[in-house]
Amino acid sequence: MPYSKNTNKRQQRLDHDRPIARRQVQPRRRYPRQLCLVLLLCMGLTNPAPLWALEVLTHPDVTDPAINRQMLRAVFSMRLRQWPDGTPITVYVLKPSSEVHIAFCKEVLGILPHQLQRSWDRLVFSGTGQAPIEVESLAEMQRRVLATPGAIGYLE
Amino acid sequence: MNRPDRTRLSLPRCLLALWLLYGLPASSSADSNPATHVHIHGFLTQGYTLTSANNFFGDSTDEGSFEFTELGINGFWQFSPRLHAAAQLLSRRAGSGSDGTIRLDYGVLDYRVLSDENQDFGARLGRFKNPLGLYNDTRDVAFTRPSIILPQSIYFDRTRDLALSSDGLQLYANRRSTEGEWEFQLGIGRPDVDDKDTELSVLGGNRPGELKDETSYIARLMYERDGGQIRLGITHAQLNMDYRPGMPDPSGPGSIRFSPTILSAQYNDERWSLTGEYAKRPLKFGNNIVYVPPPLKDITGESYYLQGSYQFDPRWEGLLRYDVTYLNDDDRNGRFIEALSGGARPAYSQYARDWTVGLRWSPNRAWMVRAEHHWVDGTAWLPLQDNPIAADTERRWRLFSLLVSYRF
Repeated sequence: MPYSKNTNKRQQRLDHDRPIARRQVQPRRRYPRQLCLVLLLCMGLTNPAPLWALEVLTHPDVTDPAINRQMLRAVFSMRLRQWPDGTPITVYVLKPSSEVHIAFCKEVLGILPHQLQRSWDRLVFSGTGQAPIEVESLAEMQRRVLATPGAIGYLE
Repeated sequence: MNRPDRTRLSLPRCLLALWLLYGLPASSSADSNPATHVHIHGFLTQGYTLTSANNFFGDSTDEGSFEFTELGINGFWQFSPRLHAAAQLLSRRAGSGSDGTIRLDYGVLDYRVLSDENQDFGARLGRFKNPLGLYNDTRDVAFTRPSIILPQSIYFDRTRDLALSSDGLQLYANRRSTEGEWEFQLGIGRPDVDDKDTELSVLGGNRPGELKDETSYIARLMYERDGGQIRLGITHAQLNMDYRPGMPDPSGPGSIRFSPTILSAQYNDERWSLTGEYAKRPLKFGNNIVYVPPPLKDITGESYYLQGSYQFDPRWEGLLRYDVTYLNDDDRNGRFIEALSGGARPAYSQYARDWTVGLRWSPNRAWMVRAEHHWVDGTAWLPLQDNPIAADTERRWRLFSLLVSYRF
């Protein structure tokens, strides 16, 4: 379901005054992947003043309606590794020094970027988890999220 | 050679072999899902240590010492979202205490029995890192430490092998809610007590017999709020060892039990971070161990530190810390042990108060340079192998250290 249709419902679930925008393209069954990408780009172009500057981007097959801040934190801190349907989660982020990444951490996750980095380091060097995959640009993020089932990233 | 027990084909070694066998062919195949790839990370660290008196990480007086090198490489293999294997090889050279031998730092098979957005429950089998306090899990990785030398009150380098990792089973449970995250770990296993420094610091000398690891327990409960802005923890461990006498040995066999409890607290803000940890460390010896005089067979140590750090910008960070150690609560000024040993163990060997200032520069995420200066009163955590004669040590000493670290 597109995010806009149940805004009120989702806002009630959030534990924070700032709602989390999530952009999810239509399921693949109805649109081929190329179309999804076009649709996504068009949405970006026809929306010069978006309500939220940052949005969560997921692969079209990810249809979990309950993505709230708590879940996003669990996903981006690499604690949660699978969606409720069992699909492995692949997390994409920009370079930790990028402005979009910093804004995403602070505004959407509510975590300080260096704290998030430290928690990834603790996972990586104690054998208990992994860090997300780093991409060079938002364009690459978009391409790879849409090409990877179970993937999640963000958009400006 | 000095660790005969580690040369046999132990469980972790088998796990590592298994991981290599399964991991390598699959990682070369073109898998469309990056979540199931093998991940390799590592680090190289070189330090320089200069002391005004007393040796730390080698012969550090006069010219200083470069005998501080840490090398590590780890692999992480995700078989499925519920099952992964992970292993890290570590080489550490630090004065006479660590000679650079490559050891398996951890090697685990980790299975999550249950995992959803609110909780995880699972088990790790193999050699797992002992979760002691805030820093022990990754104590040999310079990037994850707050300073070059960890606060020695809690993270003794003297008995580091005892604290590092255990061979056995670890259960874990995590709970996530809007109020914060709870993380609980319970490990049952055998710690590594074969190193000389552990024997020296536990038994007060190189004895004819040897220490054997016995089944030990380690539990830690961590609570994190607001994505790690507030972190609170409590750790309790019961580390059990046995003294097995040598062929000519005045001492009988006996058990040794070390049961520390550590309270940890950290507050992280955008630029500054405040950390404190407090520990009570009871140490009990069996009656037949003659190397420990009766009044010292049941002692409790106390330690704590307070640490503040400030980020001037993402590249530069400053650190200030006050770190206190008492080896024996009943003899904080050490006069009793000095009299008991006839002066062989100076009073100041029973405590240490350390003021530390430090500076970190990280030009990018792969590189880090650190400098720090310690003003220390007492030698309670001075490595014994670097300072074999206690009477030759000095009570008040300074330590300066530089460190460069790279990671991938």
